[in-house]
Amino acid sequence: MNAVGFAWRSLVRQPARAMLGVLGVAAVGALLLDMLLLSQGLIVSMRDLLDRSGWDIRVSVREIPGRGGRVPAASETAARIAALPSVKATLIVRIANARIERDGGPYIAATFEGVSGRSNRGAPITAPWTVLRGRDARGADEVVIDEAIAKTANLDVGGTVTLRASCVADLEALPPAHLRVTGIAEFPFAVTNEDGIGGSLDALEAACGGNVGDEADLLLVTSTGESRETAAAIRAAVPGLFAMTNDEVVGRLQQTGFTYFRQISAVLTTVTVSFAVLLISVLLTVSVNQRLGEVAALRALGFSRSRVVKDVLSESALIVGLGGLISLPLGLLLASGLDRILKGMPGIPADLHFFVFEGTALATHVGLLAATAIIAALYPMRIVSSLPIAATLRDEVIG
Amino acid sequence: MILRTLVFLLVLAGSVTTAQEAARAPAHDVLISRQLATEQGLSVGSLVRLATDATGTGARTFRVAGIYEPTPDPARLGTVPREVRMHLPDLLDVTRPPGALAGTEYIANINVALADPADATAFARDVNARMPGVIARPSSEAAGSAGPFRVLERFHLAIAVVTIVAATVFLLALTIMLVDERRETVGILRLIGLPARRVLVQVLIEGVIVASAGAAFGLVLALLSESLINAFFQWRYDTALVFVRITRDVALTSTAIAVPLGAAATVLASWALLRRSGLRLARR
Repeated sequence: MNAVGFAWRSLVRQPARAMLGVLGVAAVGALLLDMLLLSQGLIVSMRDLLDRSGWDIRVSVREIPGRGGRVPAASETAARIAALPSVKATLIVRIANARIERDGGPYIAATFEGVSGRSNRGAPITAPWTVLRGRDARGADEVVIDEAIAKTANLDVGGTVTLRASCVADLEALPPAHLRVTGIAEFPFAVTNEDGIGGSLDALEAACGGNVGDEADLLLVTSTGESRETAAAIRAAVPGLFAMTNDEVVGRLQQTGFTYFRQISAVLTTVTVSFAVLLISVLLTVSVNQRLGEVAALRALGFSRSRVVKDVLSESALIVGLGGLISLPLGLLLASGLDRILKGMPGIPADLHFFVFEGTALATHVGLLAATAIIAALYPMRIVSSLPIAATLRDEVIG
Repeated sequence: MILRTLVFLLVLAGSVTTAQEAARAPAHDVLISRQLATEQGLSVGSLVRLATDATGTGARTFRVAGIYEPTPDPARLGTVPREVRMHLPDLLDVTRPPGALAGTEYIANINVALADPADATAFARDVNARMPGVIARPSSEAAGSAGPFRVLERFHLAIAVVTIVAATVFLLALTIMLVDERRETVGILRLIGLPARRVLVQVLIEGVIVASAGAAFGLVLALLSESLINAFFQWRYDTALVFVRITRDVALTSTAIAVPLGAAATVLASWALLRRSGLRLARR
């Protein structure tokens, strides 16, 4: 019988303690997996979110888009950017607060995104939302709304939404605008519990009573391929504005906004691995100490020193391996619960995830558990390798 | 005087002006954040020019009257707080759009200190009833249940629960092994006449003592690591934010979980053993 088979029998002989050991590793492994997913989750998710939007450069007055301030003379700025040879398309994005009127109910607070695109060489213009049903809004009297508004206001494709938007100040008292709903859309950058409306800049202007001004919260740009060079060209063409590629936005967020989670992930990963090493080591040591007589008898029967060491190592590997296997579904389940908790954080887009499954995280998880199995087995392996056979057997007989 | 915080673009071109210029137009006082002072080499008495745009349109000169440590904000962790605090009239003067009349500006919030803080809810209710369009909320509610602090608290609690579950499972495994190691002793105690209940009480007392010692050791370890963790993260993020604080409540909660859990694990592990007869336990 090989070492693994022998270790398996040792575990099966004492099912309660083996099961508890495996379950303990499973719980610790699940936490470890989650911390590894958390360490890069936000970055991966944000990059995916930005790449999915189809725009590779963001131009705004702040380093991180969406943190206040508007681009003045938006049309002229967009035209200057569009004139650059490496630019395929530009999109002016203007965001305003809106109130959707309801018959016999309180109004619904929503965010209205008005966009206006300019394409070079027939490049497609992608709105910063995804139409789920119906079609995209085109004219000045058409909008798309998200599922939450559709449900709360009992609206669907073809219906009419009555809203008041405030493009300048929230204290404006404007007449309501009646806009036709052409589609139900998903707004990937909408924060949790934020209701979204999308339409053309003309539709937003209509909703704001014509009081929109030539400003943009954000200019989205698609380059012909070299986004970094194009961003540099934009910075040179429109000084005073920040033009950042998706990678630069992610890099900037990595340095600022997401550092806390990376740090806590690193701390908890270290604590979790140390905890696992300590506990498995204690379990194996106690287990080996209880079986010293058996080990000595095996040695006396002809088992080599390396063979009994392999037995202990295999036992550790089996406990950690089985626990590690269980920890994968358990960790993913736990990650979804923890993700739900963290997404309650204000200002987090609903489509952004803190825990994202990645191959590298899984590989690191496997590597750390393997290292845990080896390190935890070191001390018990030393005990069995240095066991004096005759003295141990005598102690067992007279003890 | 109400002070308002605003992050400004510091127009540093000619930021430190001459004494003659300062004498011509006495500069109003501002406070600047420690990080901004360090970054720009400013000190108390320096003159700075502040404007709301990068071109420096309508810039005004102010005197740095003091340097302050910004209130730590977990939502802005990792960003260097380049902040200026100034008197509200100065802020309105600097930010007023061209052509806007003085006195037509609006402010975002008014903080009110009540003579009796316990009246906060009633006061907010009165203000809401008497001033339509204004929303008054007690400070405790203004933070909101979804604030970053609350969310992080829930996250840490969830992590703590998982850790406790893992620790409990390991603890059970360990106690089962330790109890098994003492099977013969327990068997002899039963054979000399001690009832199972008496042995169980002894095991329980032992469990409480060991768990109490473990909890005390854990608390000492936590207290020792508290300052280390805070020092590291405060250095890492250049903030005065306190990341770990072992309060009396935290210590009591940890003890209240650890001691019963440890004792219960010992009793649970011993229970199966004590159900066997003394003869069977003592048999080799």
